[in-house]
Amino acid sequence: MQIAWLARFWAALRTPSARYSLLTLAGGGFAAGIIFWGGFNTALEATNTLEFCIGCHEMNSTVYPEYKQTIHYSNRTGVRAVCSDCHVPKDWTHKMIRKIEASGEVWGKITGVIDTPEKFEAKRYELATRAWTRMVTTDSIECRNCHHIDSMDPSKQTEKAQRRHAKAKAEGKTCIECHFGIAHKEPVGPDGPSELKAKLLSRK
Amino acid sequence: MISRLAGFVCCLAVAVPAYAVDENEANNLLEDSKCFKCHSIDKKKDGPSFKVTAAKYKGKADAEAKLTKHVTVPSKVKIDGVEEDHGAAKTRDPAKVKNLVQWILSR
Repeated sequence: MQIAWLARFWAALRTPSARYSLLTLAGGGFAAGIIFWGGFNTALEATNTLEFCIGCHEMNSTVYPEYKQTIHYSNRTGVRAVCSDCHVPKDWTHKMIRKIEASGEVWGKITGVIDTPEKFEAKRYELATRAWTRMVTTDSIECRNCHHIDSMDPSKQTEKAQRRHAKAKAEGKTCIECHFGIAHKEPVGPDGPSELKAKLLSRK
Repeated sequence: MISRLAGFVCCLAVAVPAYAVDENEANNLLEDSKCFKCHSIDKKKDGPSFKVTAAKYKGKADAEAKLTKHVTVPSKVKIDGVEEDHGAAKTRDPAKVKNLVQWILSR
């Protein structure tokens, strides 16, 4: 019964329209495409807002208060980097990969993996190493949403920063190798981003 | 007499609690003083990790005094063979400095 219905539906889809002109069909399809794409993008961007990220208590009571103490939340110029600016790449392909990957976090929410501060602390190092691993493999793509080493004016940096950045450039280091634990508490654990990168490179 | 004295010393040891480190206060001071730019808790950065520092001073009688001086008096340190300024913690409150030093020693 259902198969017969599906076959009729498929046949109807494949039959040329005798009622609507090609212009109506193409125009209708175009308009529907815009509505669908606009809706999809709006929904996607809604998941990139600070309000969405701190909507669950897992983030609201742990990493959010830590981030609020940092320069990425409040600074002289009033430019704020929200969660997605540091955790979601801007370009479409990497953004979609990250979003698909992040859908696993919904499962974590359902199963309550980090639903208490104690559980979160127990998982903090593991969660951080995931973020660090992702960043060392993408050359800190999220940092580069805003910062580019080639766009930096060394004369406006302290001597210390100038030396560090020159060394990083010479050694092919990526941002997260030095700038870790800057928006959230540094977790205690054996490997930092540099060690994780070395391990990844040794496997290749 | 000796056993009484030993008992008294033991009671004292029990009565005097170990210094209770305020983790949040130490963390805030480290953040404000930008210590994490060069030091990590237990990972490699340009400066030694706090864990390495704690191990270096472990069991040394002058640990607290030396570390207190290091975090309160600006000094020079060598990074990659280049001499650099080592800043001081951004506080003049001795209690906060003591808490910071104890935090480092307890890593």
